[in-house]
Amino acid sequence: MQEAELHDLSDDPDYVASQQQGSGGSENQKCTRKSNGPTEPNGSEVVYSKDNVAIHPTQYASERISGRLQLIKRDLSLFMTWIPYKQSASYGVGQGSRVKLPEKDRNLYTIRAVPLTDVRSIRRHTPTLGWQYIIMVLTSGLAFPPLYFYNGGVREFLATLKQHVFLVRSADDANVFLVNDLQDPLQRSLSSLELPRAVPVANVASSSSSLASVHSDDNSNQRSNADYHDSSFSPTESVGRHRQKVRDPARDLSIQVLEKFSLVTKFARETTSHLLRESQIFDNIGGYEKQQQVHSSPVKNQVGGDPVSQELQDKNQIISDPLEKIACRNGKLCEAAATLVGTFELIDSKEAEQQSLVWGKPRLPPLGHEEWATFLDEEGRIVDSKALRKRIFYGGVEHGLRKEVWKFLLGYNEFHSTYAEREFLETMKRSEYETIKHQWQSISPAQARRFAKFKERKSLIEKDVVRTDRSIPFYDGDENPNVGLLRDILLTFSFYNFDLGYCQGMSDLLSPILFVMEDESEAFWCFVSLMERLGPNFNRDQNGMHSQLLALSKLVEFLDSPLHCYLRQADCLNFFFCFRWILIQFKREFVYEKTMRLWEVLWTHYLSEHFHLYMCVAILKKHRKKIIEERMDFDTLLKFINELSCHITLEATLKDAEALCIIAGENKAACIPPGTPPSLPVEGGLLE
Amino acid sequence: MSYAYLFKYIIIGDTGVGKSCLLLQFTDKRFQPVHDLTIGVEFGARMITIDNKPIKLQIWDTAGQESFRSITRSYYRGAAGALLVYDITRRETFNHLASWLEDARQHANANMTIMLIGNKCDLAHRRAVSTEEGEQFAKEHGLIFMEASAKTAQNVEEAFISTAATIYKKIQDGVFDVSNESYGIKVGYGGIPGPSGGRDGSVTQGGGCCS
Repeated sequence: MQEAELHDLSDDPDYVASQQQGSGGSENQKCTRKSNGPTEPNGSEVVYSKDNVAIHPTQYASERISGRLQLIKRDLSLFMTWIPYKQSASYGVGQGSRVKLPEKDRNLYTIRAVPLTDVRSIRRHTPTLGWQYIIMVLTSGLAFPPLYFYNGGVREFLATLKQHVFLVRSADDANVFLVNDLQDPLQRSLSSLELPRAVPVANVASSSSSLASVHSDDNSNQRSNADYHDSSFSPTESVGRHRQKVRDPARDLSIQVLEKFSLVTKFARETTSHLLRESQIFDNIGGYEKQQQVHSSPVKNQVGGDPVSQELQDKNQIISDPLEKIACRNGKLCEAAATLVGTFELIDSKEAEQQSLVWGKPRLPPLGHEEWATFLDEEGRIVDSKALRKRIFYGGVEHGLRKEVWKFLLGYNEFHSTYAEREFLETMKRSEYETIKHQWQSISPAQARRFAKFKERKSLIEKDVVRTDRSIPFYDGDENPNVGLLRDILLTFSFYNFDLGYCQGMSDLLSPILFVMEDESEAFWCFVSLMERLGPNFNRDQNGMHSQLLALSKLVEFLDSPLHCYLRQADCLNFFFCFRWILIQFKREFVYEKTMRLWEVLWTHYLSEHFHLYMCVAILKKHRKKIIEERMDFDTLLKFINELSCHITLEATLKDAEALCIIAGENKAACIPPGTPPSLPVEGGLLE
Repeated sequence: MSYAYLFKYIIIGDTGVGKSCLLLQFTDKRFQPVHDLTIGVEFGARMITIDNKPIKLQIWDTAGQESFRSITRSYYRGAAGALLVYDITRRETFNHLASWLEDARQHANANMTIMLIGNKCDLAHRRAVSTEEGEQFAKEHGLIFMEASAKTAQNVEEAFISTAATIYKKIQDGVFDVSNESYGIKVGYGGIPGPSGGRDGSVTQGGGCCS
């Protein structure tokens, strides 16, 4: 950083323009002052200014929010701001938003004077089609949503930045630029391990200040408030690298906890998930009060200041973040949390270093009984099935609740059915099940001798049920009656759907369902519902599998073209190595409990009915480097994938898959042709 | 662990004939009657010695059900040896041999060595296919033949090793161009380098017997 070239910005036309255009009007600069931005306009210098830099709050580029990106130098510090244009002004600019968004929504994305010392890395995306954009990852592990340069200029931006801060290209990824990275890798790794007192001051300031953004009013986190009030967020301090600093115990404590990236991320996630949980509960009971509290927390420091809490009154109008918007057009859930953390996406820094993959939303704890009750009206109808599916998508279901909830997810019970209707259905279905079961039970030995197909099926099923999950206590031991139930249900199914019959893999799909339902008829009908979706996996000609593998190939081509390229070279584009994943929905890749968790997430069909394919892409992408570097051929790759079994982290993969699903956006329609299993004929309700 | 050669094997045959059990007996020397059915393909590996040369067998254990044939066929690619297994107590598994053989001939390389195994010979009292019939079928189709039992381990070692010996002899006789990996043979350290030179043994993750 060079000598500070100070001059009054009031005569700078750009500055004046930004003053005029900055949304939030007069409050704008006040907010900046409250946050750790320049305290006075004089003494600041705009070193870079770019118009038509936009954020896409939704998957649709037409709903973008355009604004001005600036780098401002004050004293020795460099700050970045992105101020959205005022709505009226944006039309004048021409390339501004075409969709009128409430002003407050626009404010949520405003980036007010973030010191570059808080930025860990900048990832540049310069796709051949579409707009260039950058993703800034903060030292806290959070990231701003992509900033799209509609008029180009990413290179210029980076060049300017390079003149003012230490910028180094990541060794792992040429598109990632590390900001203020210590030159010596050894030193760098040491610094991440060091005890608080030895931590470079620059990191100290950045960790604590950017963490304020995820701190909540969570009681368990009183430290956050203390931290916030204790530390004086002056810009000079943010550049603390050049200064000695007096430490206070509160700060040290937070550093101790937060210095390591993984911890920061974990902390941020926990805080966020707590918020999500809270906000969701309060949303369900329609509580505003708590939200008010939430929004009066220090978090506003980063998300836009005072106006936010007032504007939140009209909560259903809030845009949260791109994920949120796509996921939840009716804006029912999670606004508060989304507001607090919504302008960020969480990034696992370890992963980010390896893969630079933007993670999905934080996962929630599984849905429990109390919360479940809030989804039901007095007669037992699920009032907002989409909210329920979303809730389950992000957290799954507590085991004790699965028996009830799975029936809805699988479509056996309709969301709008009442308790009475479901009870009636159960009785009807129980007798219907007995009728079908009786069909094969009544086949006499003499008849069976002349019924080769039946004998063959029966013997195949009998051979397979004794080879299904016998290590699970529910199915273990000799003469276990549950193994007999598996057999009866599968045989009955092969009569219920005689054309499909029985195929290996079905017992894997039935096993957890029977385990959860603990009831023969209920398990049967749930299995029937599941087969409505997954039946094509077991077609004799395997066309269901082939169409999914093809869709997977297209998704990989779209979402990870280097990998696709490599697989083409290696003659592996049939994706047969993902066969088992898809056939039985990752049943063999996770332990039993995790499989159930994954399935309930998949069954929500929340972001996509093909979410399992995004799971595949997420896992492949994670190992892309190894696959390509080791030049795996078909055999080696197949073996490698097989051996990933029980070594895949479910929650992380779900988040990756979520992010990929969002990234695929509208293009997924092109990747996944209609009718690819488990696509159903749309019957309304479940799928929008 | 380094090897002179690596041979890729594939185990095929009807579902429930004991393919996975044969593999487990060979790689782990144990019989596990309760064993999850195979979906797709599973792998096993073991080092053996032939002619004082360490040879690594990488064995692909496939799903037997008819529906999966279209997928299974892709696994034949580059297999040096195949174990074609039937169950001596179930006649139909023997009757289906011709169809398996046809698949193998069509999708594997012509020089693949095929060993026919009549498994479950410990269950002689339930025998539905005679030893002679097995021998006859093998003779007609140019296969090596053995009856074996994954349960008692009878002939299991022999089946895998004599297949390897046959492949090894074919190499010595110059039947294969070992530098061409489509034959299912990789040359490691200590092997006879092909025209294009040997390959590093580490490429297939040497070591562990259960890989």
